Amino acid sequence: MKKFLQNKKLLSVCIVIIIAFSIIGGSVSLRNNRNTPLLIQSFGNDIVAVGTRIVNFPISIVSGNLNSVYDLLKTQDENNYLKSRVTELQQTKTRNQALEAENQQLKAALKVKQTMTDYDTVQASVISRSPDSWLDLLVINKGTTSGLQKNMAVMSGGGVIGRIVETNAASAKVELITTSDKSANRFAVEAEATNGKKVHGVITVIGSNTLAFTQAIDAHKLKAGIKVYTSGMGGNSPKGLLIGSIATTTHDTFGLSNLIKINPAGELNDPSIVTVIKRKVAE
Amino acid sequence: MHVFKKFTLAFALYVALVTNASLSFFLHQFFANTGGSNLLMPIGIMLIALFDDTNKNEIWLSLCSGIIADLYYFGIIGIYTISLPIICWGLQRIARFLPEVFWVRILVVLLTVILLDSYTWMIINLVGISSISVTKLLTSIIPTLCWSLLFTIITYKLWDVLASNYPFMVNLDNYKQ
Repeated sequence: MKKFLQNKKLLSVCIVIIIAFSIIGGSVSLRNNRNTPLLIQSFGNDIVAVGTRIVNFPISIVSGNLNSVYDLLKTQDENNYLKSRVTELQQTKTRNQALEAENQQLKAALKVKQTMTDYDTVQASVISRSPDSWLDLLVINKGTTSGLQKNMAVMSGGGVIGRIVETNAASAKVELITTSDKSANRFAVEAEATNGKKVHGVITVIGSNTLAFTQAIDAHKLKAGIKVYTSGMGGNSPKGLLIGSIATTTHDTFGLSNLIKINPAGELNDPSIVTVIKRKVAE
Repeated sequence: MHVFKKFTLAFALYVALVTNASLSFFLHQFFANTGGSNLLMPIGIMLIALFDDTNKNEIWLSLCSGIIADLYYFGIIGIYTISLPIICWGLQRIARFLPEVFWVRILVVLLTVILLDSYTWMIINLVGISSISVTKLLTSIIPTLCWSLLFTIITYKLWDVLASNYPFMVNLDNYKQ
């Protein structure tokens, strides 16, 4: 021990390692527990976000032109598909308007002001992504000034893609639903079983970025193709946001519990425009 | 304006940082499909250390760059904050014994990229912000090396000019007669 304490180089290395791990631990704790980052961190993030937007401008022009050519090539197929959906869409829209009006009347009659299905939306653009493909983090160009808060659900391409993990004044970080982050908040979900009853559970990630419906009772009543929505029970997201549809229902490696894999509905690979969901009703 | 010349390298690293973030977004399909990492900014630090092996201020510059990159990319401090100053210090020492040849420097950068990738993998697994298997780490090394080789070749001359003509916090006018 005396020898160790007299070896100044070794002692310095040990102290540096201890300090380094303390900093890492402290910053992880701050990230998980604080609702808003420290002011200096928020300022630094916004400075980089502004720079990223400036650099994005010329890159997006080149990228946009390439995408335009690609879009042009598949226009005919897309047009045929959309034509087939137009009639159906008009009918759904009319029905939705009627249901919405009826819903509001019923809420007024029951004196219910807000429910778990009520929410506001904020549109945002993705400005950058984590440089490591191991981390599922996006940075968007809206922050606390647009009313965004930590843990709000984020959608793209018709389905939930993740939730906000950090909010700065003019930018925010979004952690994708496929993250393997052990401390990430998971979505409470529900699905309608074959017998018409609701099955509640939680979305978790298994294997390599595969979504699974877990902690569900009566999971054997769920079949492939059934749509999975948020249940609003987690306290952060509203009810009724589409997560995806059930891909397969098998048993785990021990053959004891059901393993329900989900095909995500949202655009997880290349989201450029996202919608942040602000739940109206309090936790 | 002469005062700002001392900070040219810092500004260049800021541009590298934001370009790194932008390219990660626009080229995500390529990075995600191959499993590689985009290390444009860390490669800049490596090349600066190899080109200018006498300027100790660059270790502080890499520390600051590391803090900003960590907070923006990962939301935690400790990945680049620790690795970049150590890399800068280590490469400055190695550069004194290495021949000043393009291919030798490329080789050193690629070896450092492997170490940096492994360190990043270790920290993100240790703190639990992601769970990545050893197999994934091993399969990601080759694509990361290919991308790093590309970025090193493209930016080699740029960092050479910047590190030689605009060393961080050093006023070269003082040495001119």
